[in-house]
Amino acid sequence: MARIQTDRMRRALMRSNTRLLLSAVMLFQALTMVLVAFQSEAVNVQALILAAALPVATALITVIMGRLWPVDRAILILVLFLCSVGIITLSDIARADVTPRTQAIYSLAGVFAMFVGAAFVRRWTQWKKYTPMLMGLCIAALLSPYLPVVGIAKNGARNWVGFRTLSVQPSEFMKPVMILCLAGGFANRPRFVKCIPTIAFAAACCGILLLQRDLGAVLLYFLTTVFMYYAATSNAFITLSGLGMGAAAAVGAYHVIPLVKTRVELWQNPWTDPTGKGLQLVQALIAIGSGGLFGMGLGLGRPRSIPLYYSDFIFAAIAEEFGLIFAIGLMAVYVLIIMRGLIVAFNARTSFHSLSSFGLVIILGLQTMLIVGGNTKLLPLTGVTLPLVCYGGSSLVSTFFSMGVLLGISSMNAEDEARDIEQLEIREAL
Amino acid sequence: MKELRRNMRLVGMLVVVMFLGLGAWFAMTAYTQGSIWASDVHNTRLAASNTLRDDITDRDGNLLATTASDGSRQYTQNEQARRALSQTVGDIAGMSGVGVETFFSSQLMDISTSLLDRLSELFSGAEHIGSSIQLTIDGRLQAYVSSQFPRGYSGAVCVINYRTGEILAMVSKPDYDPYDILSRSDAQVEDTAFLNRCLQGRYTPGSVFKIVTLASAIMNDPNVIAQPFSCAGTWEYQGGRIVCAGGSAHGTVDLKTAFKRSCNVTFGKLAYQLGQERLRATAEQFGFNENFKFGDFVVYNSSFPRSISGMSGLVWAGIGQGEVLVTPLHMAMIAGTVANRGMMMKPMLIEKITNSLGVNTAAGQPVAYRQILSESAASKIAEYMYEAVQSGTATRAKIKNYTVCGKTGSAEVSDDKSVETNAWFTGFVYDSAHPYAISVVIEGGGAGARMPSELAAKALKAAIEMVG
Repeated sequence: MARIQTDRMRRALMRSNTRLLLSAVMLFQALTMVLVAFQSEAVNVQALILAAALPVATALITVIMGRLWPVDRAILILVLFLCSVGIITLSDIARADVTPRTQAIYSLAGVFAMFVGAAFVRRWTQWKKYTPMLMGLCIAALLSPYLPVVGIAKNGARNWVGFRTLSVQPSEFMKPVMILCLAGGFANRPRFVKCIPTIAFAAACCGILLLQRDLGAVLLYFLTTVFMYYAATSNAFITLSGLGMGAAAAVGAYHVIPLVKTRVELWQNPWTDPTGKGLQLVQALIAIGSGGLFGMGLGLGRPRSIPLYYSDFIFAAIAEEFGLIFAIGLMAVYVLIIMRGLIVAFNARTSFHSLSSFGLVIILGLQTMLIVGGNTKLLPLTGVTLPLVCYGGSSLVSTFFSMGVLLGISSMNAEDEARDIEQLEIREAL
Repeated sequence: MKELRRNMRLVGMLVVVMFLGLGAWFAMTAYTQGSIWASDVHNTRLAASNTLRDDITDRDGNLLATTASDGSRQYTQNEQARRALSQTVGDIAGMSGVGVETFFSSQLMDISTSLLDRLSELFSGAEHIGSSIQLTIDGRLQAYVSSQFPRGYSGAVCVINYRTGEILAMVSKPDYDPYDILSRSDAQVEDTAFLNRCLQGRYTPGSVFKIVTLASAIMNDPNVIAQPFSCAGTWEYQGGRIVCAGGSAHGTVDLKTAFKRSCNVTFGKLAYQLGQERLRATAEQFGFNENFKFGDFVVYNSSFPRSISGMSGLVWAGIGQGEVLVTPLHMAMIAGTVANRGMMMKPMLIEKITNSLGVNTAAGQPVAYRQILSESAASKIAEYMYEAVQSGTATRAKIKNYTVCGKTGSAEVSDDKSVETNAWFTGFVYDSAHPYAISVVIEGGGAGARMPSELAAKALKAAIEMVG
């Protein structure tokens, strides 16, 4: 009897009608992929398959996850939408080694990671006990690129580990882990002294990443730590001095690390060297300008003239293909996820879960802003990924895992609320 | 928990507001600057787009650049003329950074930010045609002047109408063939060929700068014209000495004689007598040290030293040596100012811009830039310049039946005396029906009295015949 009651409650709690959203996303996926499939003389079979597979997969994942746990479906659908935008854009513009097929396979791995993330956070009840262990794991993983044989340096940053064809970026995978660590460390409003080990842990992470020259990740880790610390303790003094120290470190980095100086100079005026150092940014701006309000149209743009159009500059590529309005809409989708995520954080029952979801949302927002700002010349370029959209397995799987954790917490909130209502009904019945 | 929620709300709101700011900034810059970005020469899409660059024509409507039916960009057929016009017209690769093809590419392609325009094009699917641009340049004149330029020399010739400010010819040597760039064999093209020396060449003026020194003297003290100067061929002053060309002594001369014979000693003394503040003030009146923004093109700044220490610097500045630098266009404008009763006209290169519907969206109008000299001072300087052509250093610039006024210059560019001087001529036709001013500079051309004066006479005569 009580079981049926809870189910009814669950469904009532998910009253918000996400069916319309799901249909719109499925329609978008199918139509765009059909367009891509028929854009040239020879029919693109791969795109045609994806035209059917993407909407079906989206629907299936939404239904399955919704059946398993009462997750926030809006977040889930928007996450899947962003992921499909990445696949669609790549189907349209990518050539050779960077293909939508690999991205689709990464996405499948990501979806799996999302389920794992949700399941994990629902079982992670002993966080108090295990947080120190998790911190150790995080540090060890971040240090792993220094291991012999498996450590790899790419693009001047030693932040990859891999074997043969499979290589991953620990700094990406450790983002959700680090946030769980911070949430564990900062939970239950500790005094400053009690925060010191956690802050030392965060500093160690930043230090390691700095040595690896993964500057975008340093910035993200740092800002997220500061914001989470402030949210957890309301200690404005420490927060502001932390930010001040960060600013000082940034100025120092400008003078010490040549890469930072180049990036800043290019950001100030990329047109001084439009065919050399400024090539990427100049081409990105040209692409955005060429796209105009409505875009060049799927398959009609030429974003391949931007170096790294599939990763660092995918936002500029999307702006060219889909246009300014769509690009702004894409940013709005991130904002929607952030706002829904904040609601999850508000509704969480423990400060650990609240802080975890808050941290995950903040890092997602900051990362998106950094790369969109970098693409549009508002900020100097930092090599972070556009979450869920840009090409690359590590970031995709890691962000899916993060979103899985967020969804897991949202399902716990929903269950708690259902339980509350049940209690209320029982009390009324008495 | 309550406090945690409050803090999270605060930070969350901060992030959302930052997102709004980012979105607004992105939308605003992309909307307002998008067309500028898109029309950049490094945009490879333009070559493949259905946007047609429209024609560039000269003042008589002769095609200087057009797009053929196969989409390729065509320039003047005659190779000599094509080369003569190369830096002025530019090329679609943007090698000549100041060419019309580059500087006006957004007009030529008429890339519009207007939402309405874009929508209508979106739905009509019409081929987008840009605006055509008519230049003030006379293509025939420019080709002729270029053909008469001494072979093997680098330099520039600039012909302007001093009453309207229209630029009639801008020859810059060496030049290049825009087709060489299109066929991607730009290795054959000399690097400096892409420079438009009329606009981008900063030259030591030498004696042509004496026009400015003379103007300063007359404006500051009208009695100076009666003052006798003695020239012994050299003048030893505290800390150095100045020599007249060939070391010839001019004896006791008045200013007129000193000017027409280009006496360095007299003008050195004159500069000293004036002092650096007054000389700099006049130079700056003429546009030295000024950030020219004429709108139709980019021209480099001319410079006069902002502070001179010691007598030597001042004396040399008075005869246009040392740190004084000028562009050929600016020099022609200075000569034109003298001819135009002291009024400098704003130079213009664009006659009109006509959009694909045949509507003129811009038309060049004569604009007075600044009254620099009083009418009496201007006519006095013109008289001296007339004397220089009649019986002074510039006699080879004479044209039959026309009053030509001018000044020669031989600018030292190195302390090494074996390096040939840059040869200058600047002057004008004193005729209200044919108001043409000219500047000629030939790098390493020796004395200004020879090659530049002859070339100026030919060019001005051609301008009278061709432009009318």
